[in-house]
Amino acid sequence: MEDAIESLTRGNVAEVKVVLASVIVALAVYQLVLAAVSYGKLRPRFLESGPATWAHRASGDTILVLAVLVALACIGFYGFEEGGAHAVFGCLVLAVLAAKVLAVRLGGSSSRLLPWIGAALFVLFTATWLTSAGDFLGVG
Amino acid sequence: MRPPSQGKQILGSLLVALAIAAVAVAVVTAHFGPTSHAELEVQEERVEMREEAREERREAAEERRGD
Repeated sequence: MEDAIESLTRGNVAEVKVVLASVIVALAVYQLVLAAVSYGKLRPRFLESGPATWAHRASGDTILVLAVLVALACIGFYGFEEGGAHAVFGCLVLAVLAAKVLAVRLGGSSSRLLPWIGAALFVLFTATWLTSAGDFLGVG
Repeated sequence: MRPPSQGKQILGSLLVALAIAAVAVAVVTAHFGPTSHAELEVQEERVEMREEAREERREAAEERRGD
């Protein structure tokens, strides 16, 4: 697994992980805006609730794939030994992501839990990024 | 003013997401500087070539002094 990850990233495992994690956090901020439009909290003239919901789902699916890829690279290459807070936040992100997918599947998009799960997910993504990529970039 | 059609709104939203991802990649990559193996190898080669040239100059100077 380690060799596969290293050859896929051409030896730049940390850098690739930081770039992907940063894309996730940037898209997560955009997700907040789209969710606000979707729930009618924001009402821009150029974007209605329906299209915002559609874009929120598409962007969310992309984030899910990226998050799984980053998690696989992280766990497969570095393991859990020296993860500390980053490992805890990362595991929580995956758990809450799974809870969000379940909430959508079982309760539909009108589930009252969704905004709370989404907000928790945003906080956890940011915390996970700050404890790894943020450190790497000198932000955290 | 009427809002654009739903298709255009969706397309616009997705293009914004793409732009955000592209900007994030560009900003973080610029922050790293040359860290890829290929670029580092080129840098190392340049340093080695400079050192070799310096060595050759030193040897040539020593030979001249010896003559």
